Amino acid sequence: MIEIKNISQSYSRRGRKKTLKNINFVVPEKAITAMVGANGAGKSTLLGVMANIVPAQAGEVLLAGEDITKIKPSDVAKKIAFLRQTQQLSVKITINDLVEYGRFPHCGGRLQEIDKQKVEEALGYMNLLDLRDCYLNELSGGQRQRAFIAMVLAQDTPYIFLDEPLNNLDIKYSVEMMKTIRMMVDELGKTVIVVLHDINFAAAYANYVVAMKDGEIVQEGKQEEIISKGVLDTVFDHDFNIVRHDGRSVCLYFDYKL
Amino acid sequence: MVGFSSFDRKRFIIIVLFAILTMVSLFMGALEGVTPQALFRGDEVAISVFTHSRIPRTLAIIFSAAGLSVAGLMMQAISRNKFMSPTTSGTIDAAALGLLLSFLFFSQQSGIVQTAFAFTFALIATILFTSIINRLKMREVVYIPLLGMMYGGMISALTTALAFRFEVMQMMNVFNLGSFARLGNFTMVYIVLIPLILAVLFSTKFSIIGLGEDFAKNLGLHYNRVVFLGLVMIALIGAATFVAVGPLPFVGLIIPNMATSFYGDNLKKSMVELMLFGSVFVLICDIISRLILFPFEMNVSLTISIAGGIIFMIYLIRGLQGGSNKQKAGV
Repeated sequence: MIEIKNISQSYSRRGRKKTLKNINFVVPEKAITAMVGANGAGKSTLLGVMANIVPAQAGEVLLAGEDITKIKPSDVAKKIAFLRQTQQLSVKITINDLVEYGRFPHCGGRLQEIDKQKVEEALGYMNLLDLRDCYLNELSGGQRQRAFIAMVLAQDTPYIFLDEPLNNLDIKYSVEMMKTIRMMVDELGKTVIVVLHDINFAAAYANYVVAMKDGEIVQEGKQEEIISKGVLDTVFDHDFNIVRHDGRSVCLYFDYKL
Repeated sequence: MVGFSSFDRKRFIIIVLFAILTMVSLFMGALEGVTPQALFRGDEVAISVFTHSRIPRTLAIIFSAAGLSVAGLMMQAISRNKFMSPTTSGTIDAAALGLLLSFLFFSQQSGIVQTAFAFTFALIATILFTSIINRLKMREVVYIPLLGMMYGGMISALTTALAFRFEVMQMMNVFNLGSFARLGNFTMVYIVLIPLILAVLFSTKFSIIGLGEDFAKNLGLHYNRVVFLGLVMIALIGAATFVAVGPLPFVGLIIPNMATSFYGDNLKKSMVELMLFGSVFVLICDIISRLILFPFEMNVSLTISIAGGIIFMIYLIRGLQGGSNKQKAGV
């Protein structure tokens, strides 16, 4: 279980401009939680703090009841995998190398039988077995993103945090990525938190939604409760039109008047 | 697949090249008669020249070249910038300052004291520079090495001013030319062995560092510790090679780029190849500078500068073209 207690964070030195203000939150287990909100709402920062990538300035993150900053980094890395939007591309490594790095917290770089097996599984799960010897810089955006997800799967953590995984992906790959995330939860029993920009992806694939604005959680809850005009209008400062189609909510946020 | 994969073939080529060039380097020189046959016959002159001049020289070439290649690679991994090297981050200039100060403080002393001075200054300068660029949050790849060269220029100006004030300019000029013919401090180059071994042992960690801070922290790596270890290794290599053979320009810059484009950035597979690659480059340059005015020799810095400068320009142009293509493609 991951609990966030009274987390505050600021970038300016005197702490006046807060990026996170007194956040409390319990991560829903074995589900997809989407974090939504305008640019600069603090979504990515919160995710970084929760994964212990960015140290919290006030408050604490509890991983199974224990303060995350007091746990050995390699042990945290066995529980939480954190992936930022597509990274450094000038590095020449193969998909196989990347996925093997995912085993680093478990084996420290010396792969045992079990590690090799996990690498095979992850590559197989993401349909990358044929491409394993390709270099990352030779891949398409979608393939590259799949390679990073395979690495996260090889890391074999119950919690997976993804910061804007749909960035730079076209519609086809975005849908594919969300389906994969859905499978990770439904088939592998992972707990996933994902920062999303497009509210409709949250509406279609997430179980829970956390809506953030100005460093605060405005509202959190089941997807059906959050994807509503009342909540979204305040969170995004925008006029939403929510329609039902085939029993699902679809957000229309385009301002078109001819 | 049966037989050699392309990676194995590339590895095989570099090992063979390295072996051949090492032999050429060992048995080439002004004194004729230093041949394998003479050594087997037990010719005393030949053995003496071989053990006191040829072997140390060849080892110095291999160690300093391998060392600077590794140092450059570390610098590039830590800064995530392919244009960084110990010469574009003030490391070598600070080593020169340290060396000068060790002279001014105790005129006559052992190589180890000189190296200690050079190391301390190189380490401080490198840490200072990396913390400055981290604070800048300016990630334009070409600006950072430019900034580093300005920074190095400032340190070097201070060194020159001091040398001028204490009337040791001539000595400084000698130190600022790389040469494998300067026998005095040759032994210092063996210090490079320590960081070379560490580089092989921690190769996976350094690969992961090269993928970024968040990436490394996600995998449970003590990012700051590994970076600090890397900086210590860079300073040690920079100081030891500077004291032993002087500056070897471009090696730390172009060799990591060339080697990783052949062998990839997974250092677990490519660290040794990188070292061999660097050695091959400097061995060739050294052999050329010994042949060109035979039986005299030209300063190896000159050969390296010319060859390195040309290769670097090719890389720069190709890199800039590649970069703009990528931008056009929207990657």
